[in-house]
This record gives sequence, structure tokens and C-alpha cells, in this order.
Amino acid sequence: MPHSSHLVLCIDDEQVGLRVRKILLERAGYEVVTALDGVAGLEIFATQPVAAVVLDYSMPGMHGGEVARRMRLIKPDVPILLLSAYVGLTSEITSLVDLYMTKGEGPPVLLQKLRTLLPLVTAS
Amino acid sequence: MCLSPGAHAHETREKDDPNDVQLSQFKRILTQVFLLPVLALLVTAAVLYWHEQSANATVELIQQSDARVSQTNLITRLIIDQESGLRGYQITGDERFLQPFLEAQQKIPQEFAHLGDTSTTDSQRLYVAQLRDSQRIWEESFARPVIATLRGGGNANDVELNLRGKVLVDAIRAQTQSIIEGAEKRRSDRIALWRQQVRDSVYALVAITLLVGILVGLFVRHRLHQVAQAYRTSLEDLSRHSEEVFQSEQQLRATLDSIGDGVITCDSDGRIAMMNPVAVALTGWPLATAQGRPLQEIFHIVNERTRELVENPVKKVQRLDAIVDLANHSILIRPDATEIHVADSAAPIRDHNGTIAGIVMVFRDVTLARRTQEALLASEKLAVAGRLAATIAHEIHNPLDSVSNLLYLMRSDCTPQESVQFMEMAQQELGRVTQISRAMLGLYRESKEPVPVDLKQMLEEILLLMERRIGDLGVTVSTQLPDQVVVEGFPAELRQVFTNLIINAAEATGKGGLVTVCIQPQLANHAPGGKVDSGATVVIADNGPGISPDVQANLFRPFFTTKGEHGTGLGLWISRGIINKHAGKISFNSDISPARHGTQVSVFLATKPVINAG
Repeated sequence: MPHSSHLVLCIDDEQVGLRVRKILLERAGYEVVTALDGVAGLEIFATQPVAAVVLDYSMPGMHGGEVARRMRLIKPDVPILLLSAYVGLTSEITSLVDLYMTKGEGPPVLLQKLRTLLPLVTAS
Repeated sequence: MCLSPGAHAHETREKDDPNDVQLSQFKRILTQVFLLPVLALLVTAAVLYWHEQSANATVELIQQSDARVSQTNLITRLIIDQESGLRGYQITGDERFLQPFLEAQQKIPQEFAHLGDTSTTDSQRLYVAQLRDSQRIWEESFARPVIATLRGGGNANDVELNLRGKVLVDAIRAQTQSIIEGAEKRRSDRIALWRQQVRDSVYALVAITLLVGILVGLFVRHRLHQVAQAYRTSLEDLSRHSEEVFQSEQQLRATLDSIGDGVITCDSDGRIAMMNPVAVALTGWPLATAQGRPLQEIFHIVNERTRELVENPVKKVQRLDAIVDLANHSILIRPDATEIHVADSAAPIRDHNGTIAGIVMVFRDVTLARRTQEALLASEKLAVAGRLAATIAHEIHNPLDSVSNLLYLMRSDCTPQESVQFMEMAQQELGRVTQISRAMLGLYRESKEPVPVDLKQMLEEILLLMERRIGDLGVTVSTQLPDQVVVEGFPAELRQVFTNLIINAAEATGKGGLVTVCIQPQLANHAPGGKVDSGATVVIADNGPGISPDVQANLFRPFFTTKGEHGTGLGLWISRGIINKHAGKISFNSDISPARHGTQVSVFLATKPVINAG
């Protein structure tokens, strides 16, 4: 698998959702590290060689928009895919991330979007 | 409803009425005009009396003079009797001729005493004394010697002797003459005086009469002038007042005609006296037809729900003797059988004695308002759901995302063991969706009759729906919800209330805040303040900044919001309506002090409420 070395950081406060997503991405050949909130996610993001981030928007404490803003300050080049259960986030927030999708669009969409993000990383 | 502007004017006029002042003035003038001539005539009478008294005194003096003259004449006659008796005796020597002399001699001293009594001055007394002396001299120095001589048989024809007697008699005559002349002179003087007095009396009478007449005339003229002035002022006042009354009546009529509400006035028998154009339009009865008919025939109102006839407003006002707001939810049935919702009130019309002379009804068409209110209630229900929409979407999308991921994994290669595990997880996530959708439906599905509501279950479902929203706000919720606290009510409506209250609390307290939700069961008791029903109080407290008193005063007002365009301003207004319908109580207790800021909302719900049907 060409992408086996890619480390993907998943941040979501939904434990079940996070667990299932981890399994899904691992089966797709990614290496996955998870965090249950923004603060823990940022710490991992800063310390580990994260290739891409799959970020939930709605979380207690710090929402996904804020997490993405801080990530851009640390490593502006790491692609971020914002996942949200909400429909219609403002452009102010979606402009912070590379891609944006709504939860429930299905795993093929997620995997496909993630694939579009990662070749950019390898290219740079 | 103002009864009549005249009523007010009447009250103020009683205090200091210019007409009253004029009336008392008029009475005083009448008394003066009556008393003054009486007084003047009394003075005149006194003057006349005085004049008469002095004239009487003068007449007495005249009579005195008359008496003196006649008394002097009497004495003169007696002296002449003496002289002629003496002469007869001288001539005849017969004692019988001496008889008149002796009789006169006897009477003379007494008569002189009488004459002395008529004397008023010293000179008069002197004259009388001189006359008395002269008579005595004549009697003693002539008459008695002559008589003695004759009795002695002598002769008394001596010329010398007789001449002396003659001289003495002449002197007496001269003296009596002078007394008489004096008296007569005095008499004529007194008569002249009396005439003068009579003349003076007449003059005085004429003068006084003239003077009094002129004075009384002038006075009466002056007073009557005042009366005329007052009368003119009264007339002017009267015409001005009548003009004012006319103007105010016109104004009232115009006001009634242009007023936006229907106005009907009835007499005390409940028969229609007046209707304004709006009342005519609303009732559908022309004024001419309606006038004199019983109110209930024209203003036919029934209860919206029961369709029972509403108590006659005339009877109700008479029974309560006060302004009454008539039954809510009244429907006016018009002659063409169309119906309109009306809100009305009735007030007694009192006459100046305070007795009810009729009633005035004010009413308006609230059909549109009622429909608007219904629309508002529905929209607020949607708004509550709207406040939860994001949460609901989130709560559904999250499990759905997991489920679709799990299905994808199960379709790709996985061990049977993994498959079972994935299925269990999918089941669990679908359970979450069902729970959410059930909680959501609870907001909408309403029962027709009140049903038992487990407060704990209901509040937990609400909190579940709001979990995400509360999480987003960064608020912690702590609960204290005992089991088995059940009240009767309409669950969807109660959910709407508590959803509103909990979201309000969470939004008020903000990030890092704490909201506590607890249920306090309450047993029935008979407290001194009144009977308390059994039930439960749901207390929702936050440690937000608190509500300032001026905002607190407006909390339950419709369209009052502190949330700008994010709030409808209807939440608490509708919540209170719902709690009132459940015969419950909603109250706020808020503190804005830095140390203990926060708000506590208490909602009491009775176990078995008597539902106030909306």
C-alpha cells in the first residue's frame, strides 16, 4: 500500500465514532492516532509526524474551527479534513481547512477525500 | 369610560359657584331693600312723635293762659259783686243787699289761691300779690269801715270817702286788666309758637319724606342695579355653560364615533340606548333597529368552547356593582350567523346620586388577534425545535456516521467475531438515534387529555436532546432527579417549557458555567397561608450573571427578548401560559451581586391539576 506510512490524526469527542473511524482508516492502510478533544489533539499534532488530520467540528471545550486555526500556526502545510455533524458551517471556518464534509456521507467519500489530500503531502 | 364631562363640572361648581354667591348677595339685597324703608319710616315716626310732644306741651301752656284769664275774670266779677253789693247797702241800708258782698268775700281768698297757682313766673306772682293787696286794702280800708258806719247808723255818703273807694277799685280794675292782658299776650305768643311748631312739623315731615324717599330710591336703584348685573352675568354664564355642554357633547359624540372599539350603552333595564358605528358594524344590527331592544338580543355572546350563553353584562354589572371584564373567549353571533371573537368589558353608568342608571359596554373584534396568537404559539413551538435543530442533526448524524462506517467495514473482509462486534456497535448507535427521535417527537406529539408525566424521564430526555448544545456552550449540567415523581399534564407543552428554561439557563451562564436541574416533590398540606396541593417543584438554577430588576419586570411580556434576532421574545410568555394552563406556578429569583450572581427558576406542578383549558 503506497500510503502505509501516512500517520493520520483523528480528533472527535464521540468515542464510538472515533473507534470505528480508526478501524476504517487502518483497514484502508493508514496509521491512525486519536484524540478525544482539541487540546489532546493539538499536543499529538505538535509532537508526532502527522500527515493529515480528520477533525470533528463540534466538541466540548474547543471546537474544530479553533483547533484548525491553531494547527495552521504550528504546521501550516499539514492538510486538514473537517468532519461535522452540522450542515452549513460558515465559510469563515471552512476556509481554515483543506476539505470539509458532513458526517453520514459514507466511508467511500471520506476515504476518497483523504486520498486527494495525501498525494499533495508526498509531492511537497 | 367617562360618563359625562358635566359630572366633573358639576362637582367643581358645588365648591365655589359664582351663581351661589350671587344668590346670597341677592337675598341680602332683598333684606336691605325691605329693611331700609322700615327703618326710615321709624325715624320719621320718631321725629313726628317728638314734634307732637312739643306741640302738646305748647297747647298745655295755652290752656294754662286761658285758665289764668278766666280765673282773673272770675276774681274781677267777685270784686264787682262786692262793690255793687256794698253800693246797694249804702243806698238802701238793707242788709240783704250786702249778701253778694259777703258771699264774694268768702270765695275771694280761695279764688286768689287758684289764680296764684296759674302763675309761672315771679312777675306773675307779683301781679297777683299786688291785686290781692289792693283788694284787701279796698275791703279793709273802705268796705268794712263803710259797712261798720252804716250798721252803726252813720252816714256813708261822704264824697271824699267814696272817691277814695273809687280810686281803690279803679286800681284793682287796672291790675286785673293788666293780668288779663299779660295772660292773653302770653297766650297769643304760645299760639304763634304752636303754629310755628305745626308748620315746622310739616316742613320736617316733607323734608324727611323727601330725603328718605330719595335715599331709599337711590339705595334700591343701586341694589337693583347690582341684581341686574348679577342676573346678566348669570345669563352670560348660563349661555356659556350651555355652549360648553353643547361643545363637549359634540366632542363626546365625535369621540364615540371615531373610537376604534364598539361602544354600546344600555339603560338600567338592559335596553340599548346608543351604539357607535363600530358597534353597529360588529354586531351587524342597524342602530335604529337595535335601539330599545334588550342587549342580549343584539349583543348575543356565547362561550367559545361550551357554546353556552354568557351572563348578561347588564346583570353582571348590576350584581357586582363594578367594572367587569367579561368572560374570556366570548364569541359574538351576528344576525347572519357569522361569528367573531370579542373581548369586552362593561362598566356601570352612575347618575349624580351614584345609582346605576345604565351600563356602557366596550368591545372589540379579536378574531385576528386570536388567530395571530395561535400562529405565534405554533411558531414558538417551531422556534424551540429550531433551537434544538443543530443538536438534533448532530445527534443523528453522529450515530449514522458510525453505522455507515460499520456497515462498510462489515461488507469488506472481516472475521465473524469482528462482524458480531460491529453489529453490536451499530445496534447501540441506532438505539441512540431512536432515543433522540423519540425525545424529539415528544416535543410535538400532544395528547388530547392530560396524562401522567414522569418528570425525571421527561427532563432526562430533554437534557439528552440538548446535550450537544450544552456541550458546545461549555456548560456543565448537574441533576438531582428523584424517581417516580409523576404529575398530570400535557407532556409536549411541558417539554417546551423546560427546554426553553434549560437552554435559557445554559445560554445565560455561558462557557464554564454550571446549570443544576432538580425536582423537589411536595406533599399536600394546609399551611396557614392557604391549602397547598401535592405536586413537585422543578428548579433550574444557573450561576450566570443574573437578571437585572428592569429586565425581570419584563420577563413574561410577549416579544421581549435580550437575545436580539436569536430570540422570538415569546418563550417565557408562552411558558407562563402553559404553566397557568396546568394550574401551576412559575417564578424567578435572581441575584446580580458579584458574590452570589445567578438565576433560579421554580416551576410548581400539581399532581392532579385542574386544567385551565386555554
